[in-house]
Amino acid sequence: MEHTITAGTAPSLTAETAPPARPRVSRRSLVPYVLIAPGVIWMLVFLVLPILMMVYVSFWTQTTFAIKPILTTRSWVNFFSSTTYVASLWTTLRIWLIVLAATLVVGYPTALFVGLFVRNKTLSTVLLVLCVIPFWTSFLIRVVAWRPMLGEQGAINIILRSLHLIQHPISALLYTELSVVIGMTQIYCVFMVGPIAFMLSRIDPNIIEAARDLGAGFWRIFARIILPLSMPGVVVGAIFVSVMVLGEFATSAALSGRKVNMLGNIILTQVGSLKWAFAAVVGVVLTIVMGIVVSLFLRIVDLRREL
Amino acid sequence: MADDLVLDGVTKRYGALTPLDRISVTIPGNTYVSLLGPSGSGKTVLLRVIAGFEAPDAGSVRLGGRRLDGMAAHLRGIGFVFQNYALFPHLSVRDNIGFGLASRAVEPVRDPAALRRRVDAMIALVGLEGLGERGVHQISGGQRQRVALARTLVTEPRLVLLDEPLGALDANLRTRMRGELRRIREQLGVTFLHVTGSDTEALAIGDQVIVLDRGTIAQHDRPDAVYNRPNSAQVARFLNCYNIFPGRRDGARFVSEIAAFPLAESVARGDGAGREPAYCIRQDLIEIRAADAPVASGEAALPAEFIASEYSGASIAYFFRTARGETVEVEAHLSHRRPVELEPQRRYTLAWDAGRAVVFA
Repeated sequence: MEHTITAGTAPSLTAETAPPARPRVSRRSLVPYVLIAPGVIWMLVFLVLPILMMVYVSFWTQTTFAIKPILTTRSWVNFFSSTTYVASLWTTLRIWLIVLAATLVVGYPTALFVGLFVRNKTLSTVLLVLCVIPFWTSFLIRVVAWRPMLGEQGAINIILRSLHLIQHPISALLYTELSVVIGMTQIYCVFMVGPIAFMLSRIDPNIIEAARDLGAGFWRIFARIILPLSMPGVVVGAIFVSVMVLGEFATSAALSGRKVNMLGNIILTQVGSLKWAFAAVVGVVLTIVMGIVVSLFLRIVDLRREL
Repeated sequence: MADDLVLDGVTKRYGALTPLDRISVTIPGNTYVSLLGPSGSGKTVLLRVIAGFEAPDAGSVRLGGRRLDGMAAHLRGIGFVFQNYALFPHLSVRDNIGFGLASRAVEPVRDPAALRRRVDAMIALVGLEGLGERGVHQISGGQRQRVALARTLVTEPRLVLLDEPLGALDANLRTRMRGELRRIREQLGVTFLHVTGSDTEALAIGDQVIVLDRGTIAQHDRPDAVYNRPNSAQVARFLNCYNIFPGRRDGARFVSEIAAFPLAESVARGDGAGREPAYCIRQDLIEIRAADAPVASGEAALPAEFIASEYSGASIAYFFRTARGETVEVEAHLSHRRPVELEPQRRYTLAWDAGRAVVFA
């Protein structure tokens, strides 16, 4: 572009007055770097360096009260030889998969309703805002609010008992893995609903009408048209939910009575007892797991093409 | 006829609006019918009612003697080609075309070989050979139009409804697709009902033309009959080729605000008279003369001031202003006349054979 313009105007100018093309071009070409610099610096200082530091610290030597930068694999060996810690890795993966499935099961139909069946833009915006309303209170309050819901003297047990559906309160509702899953599903569901509803609302209603006119029934249209067109939303939602659930510690601590230990909880206790090297090991493991999960999701859909 | 589409008193209301007001029409099978109307005339609503996307508030729709109203859209044997094509964006050309056959609830084609054969035949019919595996975003607008048509035709509808199918194409391609659409229809022997807002497209493509005006059928006739003998001043207006002067009849004359025109014996009078008295003269029947040139008996004349002209290749349009400020357009076909040099702001006499006028009085 630059070259054509310069070439086109050159004949009308003498050699002295013709502006030198090179400096202008090179000053222009600096602009993108200037634009990207703050972001790159921010990411380097607050993301890349800490991660490298975390990897480095995970190989430091940890004694009871101190940590020395002498490289060793002891913390790593400790992590993978301890049944408690490996079990917590599995717990993390199990809860992640269950919560992911639950948010999808609850979230997809909701998104289908908000994004596709509600054709009034105002109404669908209002419905999406309703989904976000719980976020107006703090995260911890939302988590703790599940206790009076699920407890033995909680709302659900009271209702079930007054309906004479049960004789004795169900104690499995609170301070179990179930309560953790329920709490997380409620908190993270909206991150699934949002992206899916967005993709669904972009589907041209004529496309669905055309499919119907060609004789396809609802399930067929759903499977062949609606679901494939909403996949980018599902993938984005799944990445949101996965990253947040894998790093969770507060919900599992508050709703399991510290019985369910995810990797996030381990990090917290290790940092609390100043076991920096060991906390770094868990952090690296968690980061690797998230990296694998996100890259697997990105394999499903070419997001850059779809969005 | 076995495949006649018969509408009887079809009415559709949206609150205070009545986009379709007691439409009764018979469209014979194996015909190309164009439906002309300005935006807001109800043509898309009519199409959607016939297709079954909307239910009429009154009246009946029959196809081949079978009553359609109340029947689901996909059971009617009617295909619909959408204005923006509504192709499935994530499917290839082949999968788009095959969707109806493979996915329909009634008698789906499950055998991949049979499906492939029928889709291939359709690809060949609409001229998309070699593009079957492309995505629908990797083909041109005209090709997408063909995919939309093929996707509908492959399900073998008896009637195909086309909602402004050429609207998104450029002028050159539009003219070519007109011929293509006619060829494809003749080959299949089905009925095409083609909605358009373009008068030239409606006249060029239809064996019959239906003119829709504010929810009623203003005229239903052969293209040449609609063009030469419009039913009402409103139809003449849609055709975009008439100068229309409102006024009233006074004995053997038609008196309008700007002039009085003699009425010839042979003058064509529309049947839809009474709604809006008007004197209509086609733009290409008017002759431009010097201001003091004589006017023969049997001719009507109108003094007017020349404003501007517009050259468009085979023809040229001259714009005149009457003493009352109305614009009169004169079209000259350059194969018959040589372009005349006119002086702006100068007065001329516009004259025409009084017998060629269409008068509603």
